[in-house]
Amino acid sequence: MTLRIEDLPKEELFGQGNGGCKACGAAIAGRQAMKVLGERTIITIPASCMATLGGNNQKTAWKIPFYHTLFEMAPAVSSGIRAALEIQGVNDVNVVSWGGDAGSADIGFQALTGAAERNEHMIHVCYDNEMYMNTGGQQSSQTPLYALTSNDHIGKPVKKKNMLAIMEAHGLDYVASASIAYPFDLMEKFQNALANPGFSYIHILAPCYRGWQIPGEKTIEFARLAVESGLWELFEVKKGVRTRTHEPSLIPVADYLLPQGRFKNISKKAVEEIQTSITKYYGRGDK
Amino acid sequence: MAKNLPIVPTAKPGSMAETPAGSTWREKRPVLMNCTCLEVTLYCPDGALSIVEGKVSLDLNLCKGCGICANECKDGGIQMVPEYTGAQGVFPVKGEE
Amino acid sequence: MSTTLLTGSEAAAYGAKLAKIEVIAYYPITPAFPAMERVSKFIQDGELKANFVRVESDHSALAATLGASLAGARAFTVTNSQGLLYMTEVCYHTAGLRQPVVMACANRALSAPHSRFPEQGDAVSQGANGWIQLFCENNQEVLDNTIQAFKIAETVKLPVLVNYEGYVQSHTLEEVVIPDQEKVNAFLPLVRFKTLDVENPQGVNTVTSPDFYMDYKFRQNEAMNEAVKVIGEVAETYGQEFGRNWSGLIETYKMDGAEHALVCMGSMVSEARLAVDELRSQGKKVGLVKVRAWRPFPVEALRASLKKVNKVTVFDKNIVYGMGGALGTEVRGALYGQASLNVNSYIVGLGGRKFGLNEIKQVIELSEKTVKQDVISEWFGL
Repeated sequence: MTLRIEDLPKEELFGQGNGGCKACGAAIAGRQAMKVLGERTIITIPASCMATLGGNNQKTAWKIPFYHTLFEMAPAVSSGIRAALEIQGVNDVNVVSWGGDAGSADIGFQALTGAAERNEHMIHVCYDNEMYMNTGGQQSSQTPLYALTSNDHIGKPVKKKNMLAIMEAHGLDYVASASIAYPFDLMEKFQNALANPGFSYIHILAPCYRGWQIPGEKTIEFARLAVESGLWELFEVKKGVRTRTHEPSLIPVADYLLPQGRFKNISKKAVEEIQTSITKYYGRGDK
Repeated sequence: MAKNLPIVPTAKPGSMAETPAGSTWREKRPVLMNCTCLEVTLYCPDGALSIVEGKVSLDLNLCKGCGICANECKDGGIQMVPEYTGAQGVFPVKGEE
Repeated sequence: MSTTLLTGSEAAAYGAKLAKIEVIAYYPITPAFPAMERVSKFIQDGELKANFVRVESDHSALAATLGASLAGARAFTVTNSQGLLYMTEVCYHTAGLRQPVVMACANRALSAPHSRFPEQGDAVSQGANGWIQLFCENNQEVLDNTIQAFKIAETVKLPVLVNYEGYVQSHTLEEVVIPDQEKVNAFLPLVRFKTLDVENPQGVNTVTSPDFYMDYKFRQNEAMNEAVKVIGEVAETYGQEFGRNWSGLIETYKMDGAEHALVCMGSMVSEARLAVDELRSQGKKVGLVKVRAWRPFPVEALRASLKKVNKVTVFDKNIVYGMGGALGTEVRGALYGQASLNVNSYIVGLGGRKFGLNEIKQVIELSEKTVKQDVISEWFGL
């Protein structure tokens, strides 16, 4: 179903008054997703910016049941929530776990792969800002090659772990990538995930201006450049069928990489190599 | 005497919006000129922008002044103006001089 | 009501079934695994209506159990040793969130070096985590305590760990009376505590500032203090309904006129009873204090029960390195200033080292001769 802005619910189920930094990509992802997930949703969020910005003391920015879990367990907690709802005969509640790159791909991976393998009826979202921003921007498995982080002053020597391929390999009926710069594409993917009675995985690229060392107001712009340069492909895998949901214009990768402070150490040769591999991947011939 | 607290550490839904601290951090604020792209409401991290009667509407209490909306508004219909207006008085807003 | 032969594992499983648990999440570990296998069979045979979540780790086992509890289901799990340690973080978290989760623990020694034999070190390692801890002396008590644990947990809103020893209990058959389901239903009606509920949304475990954290901790400890009373009341009611009163925090055995008291917990209690019987028949004034609840620690009850003795001998199947036996240390603390009595503490039976009736008698003899220990705990059986 194609979504139109006019059809989206007016209610802000998440975000107003949140304690995040200005221009927070994670909060944008949360707001966009909640427009589709709706009020009958229980969300678990492991230690992350998203967990801390969502509440403090007796206040929360969520209007749905929100639970800030321990770091490595959100998908396991959500599995238990689903089991509890089921035994109580409640079948109309969406169960979501929402981790950062750490809570999904790294420290949280064990619980994630377990829940995915069990094909629990839930959605796991990885909102990916490509580093551990809640602790000040350290390197994660989702940090891209060459990127600087607060605990690496040379640039990441190894590649970003391909979480989408890993999750696809679980044989799930719904896996998708998304970007906060393409909200309708993102929201339609949440609709598709809701229609899947098993485990769905959505990986959202959500820039953090502080970690990426870009101006805050360009958060969406860089999310868009990541897609248009071909470095972040928007696609979904529905019951094993892979579809690219947006054809990128393939602007030069340099336009995306070089303005970011985190790539200030990247060599000309490295940029050329990335460009070559992207061009080859999209099959648009040598430039 | 210990405070009276809920047994399970819990918070009232949506309560952060009652006292949004972020608006006090603002260095610049958006001014809606003639913005017609409703999509910008989806790029706001703070739910400060909404659609009211088919038009973009702003709640400054919720706005942290990040400037994403101004950057994303396709027709340049949102402009960021400094909160601190300086000793000289108000900086002119483009189109409003 | 029927009497049958059950292992401790099966007794825990029957206890959970009678308590009508609704969600269980489990990751196998030796020697706890037969309990969950039994529960899983109850479910598949249609004898228990519950959801079984076969998680990928001990950490997730307690996480899923906790999630189920937060969403309003009666939830249960089983573990021991390394599994319990891996859950440690979630244990603290569950207590802080005040969830009435019950977990059975088939106590086993901790690595390294690797051991799969009985010891109470795993439970002792969790002595500060905010869980109520009950120790069972036989398989009947495992079943009865599992049912009572839910009653206690749901009354004071704290999780309960039901300890029974690996192999010594978990894999040993004993006669166990299985109570009627209807009577258990009446004793333990289903009450739902929904924290995560779309009808009443709340933010759970938000970041808490110094202005609130300490107050939450005070309230949590108050619940533990309340449990001191509740554990006794629940045991009393259970005794009236089912004819077996395991007493509250402690049980005294042949303490009338005793000059020398043994203090221990878990399966050692059964054999200490035999030792006391034998010594009493020889005219020796020996009695026994069984610690049934290790958390909350029965300070007042111990002080009262040990008022008239001049010697106390404590057996600890655990070691707190650089300190001594946990129970011995705490008994001394509880009795401080009460009288000039002599408390002797012994580390015994670690990692399955034999500690039976004969060994108990040897320690008693040793303790009789020891006026004052020059160490915090002495090692026995090396």
